[in-house]
Amino acid sequence: MKTHIFPTRRSGGRLSSHALLLAGITFAVSASPALARGTLAGTSIENTATATFDGPSGPVEVPSNQVTVLVDELIDPVVGSNDAGDIVATPGATGVVHGFTLTNNGNGLEEFVLTAVHTNGGDDFDPTANQIVIDSNDNGVYDEGVDTIYVPGTNDPVLAPDASVVVFVLSDIPGTVTDGDRGEVSLVAESATGTGAPGTSFAGAGEGGGDAVLGTSGGTDNDNGFVVVSSATIALLKSATIADPFGGAEAVPGAIITYTLTANATGSGSVNGVVISDLIPTGTVYQPASLTLAGAALTDAASDDAGTFDGTGVVVNVGTMAGGASSVVTFQVKIAE
Amino acid sequence: MLFRLAILLSVIVTPVAAHAGTPVSLSSDVFVERNEISADGKSRITLTEPKRIIPGDTLIFVVRYENASSQTARNFIVTNPMPAAVAFVDDAGERAEVSVNGGRSFGALADLQVPLSNGGFRPASADDVTHIRWKVESDLPAGKAGKFVYRGRVK
Repeated sequence: MKTHIFPTRRSGGRLSSHALLLAGITFAVSASPALARGTLAGTSIENTATATFDGPSGPVEVPSNQVTVLVDELIDPVVGSNDAGDIVATPGATGVVHGFTLTNNGNGLEEFVLTAVHTNGGDDFDPTANQIVIDSNDNGVYDEGVDTIYVPGTNDPVLAPDASVVVFVLSDIPGTVTDGDRGEVSLVAESATGTGAPGTSFAGAGEGGGDAVLGTSGGTDNDNGFVVVSSATIALLKSATIADPFGGAEAVPGAIITYTLTANATGSGSVNGVVISDLIPTGTVYQPASLTLAGAALTDAASDDAGTFDGTGVVVNVGTMAGGASSVVTFQVKIAE
Repeated sequence: MLFRLAILLSVIVTPVAAHAGTPVSLSSDVFVERNEISADGKSRITLTEPKRIIPGDTLIFVVRYENASSQTARNFIVTNPMPAAVAFVDDAGERAEVSVNGGRSFGALADLQVPLSNGGFRPASADDVTHIRWKVESDLPAGKAGKFVYRGRVK
């Protein structure tokens, strides 16, 4: 409660006791004043005017009645994706993380119920629900085993006006998806007080004793994120050239057959652990030390390099192949004489 | 001069109490102004009792005055501080003056300035208004009544 006293100026530069008018003003606000999101729910707005005038026996001050209005609670959650773009994942990946920020744009403490939606239309596939996790250490990054798993009705976020919390939606990717497929994941936050058309009110349900009123959000908001599948597939081509002992290309005993195995990776992702292997055809004999990878010779022994001749066939560990890459393996056999 | 000062001091030390049964009365009232869109898409502004208000709502404050006495109330001035949670919205009538410095001085909003931390000034805006003051010609004759209205937005 404050009291201000105001001398007023009077025209003509003349001061008299009449000029010493007083306006004794009282007003009070029973809760904290405005925040960025507006006056807090439960705040009393109290208005009093005061008339001053000069009566027959001196200055008189007449206060008005005080009108008091209680500010009700406005409910307005906002959900926004934290991801800069699509989250890249491989087929069969688990625990793919989408981050969201839930902000209480209302003016009262409010509890929100979270739901992750994976079965959205308009995408190429539906990721499967894994779990929702609250960023309990508040660092904006998903920390497995540290951040708290969300259990509806148990640890629903309760946010003060203007406060926000980061929520992670974890999803699994089916193994059947193909390169470039996009799947949508969305997070829905609903006011625990209620949802409905904007302007809907809940009598007495507001923070601070007033009503609760749904803002433009209708008490709920959502946002989405996408996961894009990145994978690659391998196609293997095999070709052969023959050099006979007479300078021709006839498949006669003693002719040397050079086999070329070409692996082509296509797709936006990569394939790990690519192994190119081939059996030595019956009726032929492997030519020792004829194995090459990308034009470089490989030994026949195991473990010293990527290539091995194991007595029945050749095995070359190519390793990881990114989409667009090719790996060429050659070896030679002699047609049995 | 000494005499006037003495009056000033006495007034401050013992503020003039409202005379019980004073024939000049003042009443304050508040309404909430809503822009309602009806089913046919037309918008309609309604004034209702402020049973339910939220930040952003427009409040209409009405101050009614009446001089029921047989005497003229000279230098009749009504002063209304803005409630802290309410921002002044627009002109409160041609008889209104506003203050942006806690009531130390009053004037037309367009003429007022707000000091900046760098020592300069910027033009005052409606959000800066701390008090509204109205004058009735200067004297309120016996038997006269009227009202002042101002509009505020819930911050």
